[in-house]
Amino acid sequence: MTRRADAPLTRADFHAARGVLLVTRHPPPPPVPVPGQPAAVPANPAEGVEILVAVWDDGSVTALHGHVDLGTGIRTALTQIVAEELDVPMDRVNMVLGDTTRAPNQGATIASASIQIHAVPLRLAAAQARHWLLARAAARLQVDVAGLAVREGVVHDAAGGRSITYGELVGGDHVELSLDPGTPVKLPADYTLVGTRAPRVDLVAKATGELVFVHDMRVPGMLHGRVVRPPYAGADHGDFIGNTLESVDESSIAHIPGIRAVVVIRDFVGVVAEREEDAEQAMRELRVAWRSWPGLPPLDDLAQALRTQPSTPRRLVDEGDVDAALAGAAQAMPRTYVWPYQMHASLGPSCAVADWRADGEGGAARMTVWAGTQNPHVLRADLARLMGMPDLSIDLIRMEAAGCYGRNCADDVAADAALLSRAAGAPVRVQLTREQENAWEPKGAAQLMQVRGGLNADGSIAAYDFETSYPSNGAPTLALLLTRVIEPLAQAYEMGDRTARPPYTLDNLRVTVNDMAPIVRASWLRGVSALPNSFAHESYFDELATAAGEDPVAFRLRHLQDARAAELVRATAERAGWRVHTGPKQGPQAGGEGDIVSGQGFAYARYVHSKWPGFGAAWAAWVADVDVNRRTGEVQVRRVVVGHDAGLLINPAGVEHQVHGNVLQTTSRALKEQVGFTAGERPPAQSARTVPVPQAPPVQNLEWGAYPILSFRDVPVIEVLHMPRPDEPSLGAGESASVPGTAAIANAIFDATGVRLRQPPFTPETVRAALQSSVEPQGGDAGAQARPAPWPASGGTGTETRWPWGAMPPRTRGWLARGLTMTAGVLGLGAALLGWRPAIAPVAPSTSSPYSAATLEKGRRLAAAGDCAVCHTQSGGTVNAGGRALRTPFGTIYSTNLTPDVETGIGLWSFSAFQRAMRAGISRDGRHLYPAFPYTAFAKTSDEDLEALYAYLMAQPAARAPTPAPELTFPFNVRPLMAAWNGLFHDPAPYQPVTTQTPEWNRGAYLVNGLGHCSACHTPRNAFGAEKSGEPAWLSGAFIDGWEAPALTALSRAPMPWTREDLYAYLRQGYSRNHGTASGPMAPVIEGLQALPDADIRAMATYLASFNVPAAGESGSTPAPHAEAWVAAAQTAAPPPGAGQRIFDGACAACHHDGDGPRLLGVNVPLALNTNLHSDRPDNLLRVILDGIREPATRDIGFMPGFRHAFSDAQLAELAGYMRARFAPDKPVWRDLPAQVARLRQLPPH
Amino acid sequence: MHAPSPPSLRLCVNGAVHEVGVAPTAPLLAVLRNDLGLNGPKYGCGLGECGACTVLIDGVAARACVIPAGGVVGREITSLEGLGTRAMPHPVQRAFIDEQAAQCGYCLNGMVMMAAALLARDPCADEAAIRRELSGNLCRCGTHVEIVRAVLRAATNVAPSGAHTP
Repeated sequence: MTRRADAPLTRADFHAARGVLLVTRHPPPPPVPVPGQPAAVPANPAEGVEILVAVWDDGSVTALHGHVDLGTGIRTALTQIVAEELDVPMDRVNMVLGDTTRAPNQGATIASASIQIHAVPLRLAAAQARHWLLARAAARLQVDVAGLAVREGVVHDAAGGRSITYGELVGGDHVELSLDPGTPVKLPADYTLVGTRAPRVDLVAKATGELVFVHDMRVPGMLHGRVVRPPYAGADHGDFIGNTLESVDESSIAHIPGIRAVVVIRDFVGVVAEREEDAEQAMRELRVAWRSWPGLPPLDDLAQALRTQPSTPRRLVDEGDVDAALAGAAQAMPRTYVWPYQMHASLGPSCAVADWRADGEGGAARMTVWAGTQNPHVLRADLARLMGMPDLSIDLIRMEAAGCYGRNCADDVAADAALLSRAAGAPVRVQLTREQENAWEPKGAAQLMQVRGGLNADGSIAAYDFETSYPSNGAPTLALLLTRVIEPLAQAYEMGDRTARPPYTLDNLRVTVNDMAPIVRASWLRGVSALPNSFAHESYFDELATAAGEDPVAFRLRHLQDARAAELVRATAERAGWRVHTGPKQGPQAGGEGDIVSGQGFAYARYVHSKWPGFGAAWAAWVADVDVNRRTGEVQVRRVVVGHDAGLLINPAGVEHQVHGNVLQTTSRALKEQVGFTAGERPPAQSARTVPVPQAPPVQNLEWGAYPILSFRDVPVIEVLHMPRPDEPSLGAGESASVPGTAAIANAIFDATGVRLRQPPFTPETVRAALQSSVEPQGGDAGAQARPAPWPASGGTGTETRWPWGAMPPRTRGWLARGLTMTAGVLGLGAALLGWRPAIAPVAPSTSSPYSAATLEKGRRLAAAGDCAVCHTQSGGTVNAGGRALRTPFGTIYSTNLTPDVETGIGLWSFSAFQRAMRAGISRDGRHLYPAFPYTAFAKTSDEDLEALYAYLMAQPAARAPTPAPELTFPFNVRPLMAAWNGLFHDPAPYQPVTTQTPEWNRGAYLVNGLGHCSACHTPRNAFGAEKSGEPAWLSGAFIDGWEAPALTALSRAPMPWTREDLYAYLRQGYSRNHGTASGPMAPVIEGLQALPDADIRAMATYLASFNVPAAGESGSTPAPHAEAWVAAAQTAAPPPGAGQRIFDGACAACHHDGDGPRLLGVNVPLALNTNLHSDRPDNLLRVILDGIREPATRDIGFMPGFRHAFSDAQLAELAGYMRARFAPDKPVWRDLPAQVARLRQLPPH
Repeated sequence: MHAPSPPSLRLCVNGAVHEVGVAPTAPLLAVLRNDLGLNGPKYGCGLGECGACTVLIDGVAARACVIPAGGVVGREITSLEGLGTRAMPHPVQRAFIDEQAAQCGYCLNGMVMMAAALLARDPCADEAAIRRELSGNLCRCGTHVEIVRAVLRAATNVAPSGAHTP
């Protein structure tokens, strides 16, 4: 269905149309410049009058509003307002929001003002259109207007029984009415639509995946862009901005297909590719060198940082005689409250599409930008400035984006897209990564609130001297700074004054705002400065009430003159069942049942927005009920009762959603949220390809583990009490309910524990520390209480002898090398004599295989069991063509070409030559092979199997691929030395069955020790690189390629013994429910084993299980633990919650849980049973976290992302340390984790 | 150096087989969105942490942003679009619409897909089970209350009659 209301794309389309009634207005005069307030761009007179409402001849209506829907539902509420005034059904209205070429310029969507202030002209316009239509109907029907009624866009003449539609009334005319501010509007008593819980107009499209979000915008020929940001995330001023790029090496991404542009403008760097994943890869791999920069100032002590930041005091209130009153106070109560930096943390990282074209008149440029901005006209002006284009050459189309709650990166990414589109000469979509959004979004500012106040002897308030410091501005659009189109100045906004005046009557009151430039890039976030200011006011009034020995609610009411506020406070307290009290229920030392104490807290605030003294939005009051666990410090907000007075509710459901959203977001901010910054001089940073480890950005919270937000597990019961005020004007409801929240929670924690918290977030460790510090020292045992499980301070790291072919501690390498050098001289002569072997005559290549299909199939299975292709195939190369680099402590060697290529492969090899290689480690030409090729194991294979394997390999397609020469240093490059080595360490005899064992066991032994060559990885090596022989070394675990191959015998550290069933499951499926999942180099091994029949896998399991029987004497003394019991035991021994636990919960717990989380693709083996968590070394765990599981051994296992880019070394160490303590509480802590992480990060992904 | 053209993958999405010329390492999310033009699954974090990209793979909820497209060849992939349409919404989509369970709606895809997978497995899921199932999906707007209500409503619609009676 096409409605006329949906068709016009520009104001000109409206003006040119026939069959339409327009209500327009002259753009308001340019606002008087106000220092320190969000930018406002006056309307460009060339754009003509602004259109507010259009009624079309098909009865449809276009309504236009300059604000945008940030997820608050204003599109629905505004639709209700227009439909109400016009008396049309809502589905007949197309509500246009924010597009610069259509909608009126009403400034930024901030300050909860969309309904309260900016809907007024729209309502008038709709009412005016209705009056005009009614007048025309009256004329047409020749009746008096008073006798007409409108229902659903149809005018009825009740007396005459006639009717006429709006469409018919508009007819083919073009009518433009200029907005008359005196137009009468409907009385609230007559509303039928406003005030109802009308369904959201955008929801069906969103719930079914239709095009709504800017992220989903696609235009023909669209390319994909990514930006590469400078290392100074969070910085927004200083001369290094725009001056830090050293070089960009475009050749570093030459291997990536479809690159269309690399754009470098001072510190702005971006790439454009045809495919999104290629753009993403180019972003990560583009070699960019950055110079050093001064780094961020220290922000660990926020109060100190805010005190020392240069500022300009602005006195807002000075009433009574504050100094005299303070001097006379009986009880002085100076207090400091600190608010942390927080994030908007939009769920969808910002995205935009720009289409720049030079196809205007005379080649003039035009640009269309689809953006999720909250500030379309200001963004258009920024884009015009950035691109050097007139603003009218830019069409900015506002599409929906993820909820933003303030200024996030939506504008930044639009500017990025503009630059990339111009460079690529095509439409470009730019998507910021999660890490970029978190690093660069203008943070919700930290804030310092200092109160000097106190009580008089009679319990009255002596004075209230409030000082607030707010380091923030409007966060200039990033590309303007990076390209230095604008100067990166430290500029302050005067926005710290929101709700800076406490709402209570005070005889002696002083309020001062210290306006200051940002310390880090910061801008408004929901509740702006009002939320921190109210946190201070409402905490302080609670402190005053307690000091005065009064109930906190009664104390407030005694000082609250605003009758509407007092009514709200009373109603809210009553609804919540407020328990009157004059002091905390519990002191920190109080006894009581168990660890949980509960408390109730109250707070009230009215959000006062815009420039001081500002406008009041809705009133809100909270009663929060919390539980505090005194042992762990965890705070659970159990119930929140919110009283809310927003005047007339346009859509009660919408307001309720906003209240719910504010309650939950504020609870999240109060309990969990805080941005951390790494301060100090930042040395030059380069991308991964020149320096293995790129510098971590100074913002520490790049993903949801490090910046956790409220989960469904934490959601409290919320009860909303709407004050019935249908006759009062509507007030902004987008932020109000958030403002008192944090103080209500802090006050409840005080009630529960007697401990006063003055700096959110109230994390478990903050609460634990506060409880601890408030308790008198009690013989030093207080700390032990917080640690439920005893952890030995140190633990052995086991044997240092490691498999030499992979990464190992440098110390070990040196020792090995010295050992070999010393013995080389002794062995040298004999080796030279013994080392010579004859070549075996070449065979003529044949084009057809003389072997049967059955033999070839057998050979295929054997090749798979022997994992030939794993080592003999390069990443992305031809199977078995060799060339894979094998790094050893002796140097790098390359696997050989196993295809039957005559020149470079084994095409000339006879079976005898092949057999000799497999048995004796000697190439056809007589050269010794290095034992990285596990002939020591392959020698055990029967001739029959070797022949099948040979047959198979020779039947494969030949691939020409010369093997690179090994890069070994003396004496390791002397191949004949291997003869001596073989003499000492190699037994070339085939496997001989053990007669006392079953055939199955012997079959298992044959496979495990022969082609399976398990021992090659799982047995430690001696100083000569040979597997240690005999028990207990055999299969006792070793390191390979930077991974630990764990013990396969009773020496396993796994909490559950490896049974035959477990081994079978692991080898067959790639995972065992009692041990974990095959990853790293074991994944392709399992993949290879898929070719073997079940009987062979069972045989291997039977054989290996026979080495997992507990040693004699232990047998039968302790029954095997039950998996469930083990998991449960680890749960009860969980360490106190902290940063590591939060990272785990945010990043890992959805997939890795003990059965109490979601069901997601892939296996979920309880981590308490995972062998890697119980190992002496964290290597396997860390490597899996760094690089994930991209090619799982079997399909059941599922996939895991790598977190290399998201976590710093410190965070990985924190996470691994937590996981060790949580899941292997009986094992010693892993030591030196940050260093271990740094070491493992250098290894290439497996 | 000219890179070879990527191999072709056959993906079964929303009941139809699609041949797409992409590298097997390309994230499934990118392929669904860019090659098949689907809007439902959203990019949120690229780390499988937020759930905005959730799809069903053989009926099991999966994070499309961390799955290489080559890893799901031969499996049934269902996106929000495959669940239902404006004309014929899935009972879970219907319930989310009826309960107005969205603010910005960016997380909606993940919530609907998780709920659909849960209710297919356990049509009688109670509030505790729903919260558990959604505990790995993030909503920044704070729509949790409405979302849980929607899933409970969907459970009533999906479950066979009387299934809630003990």
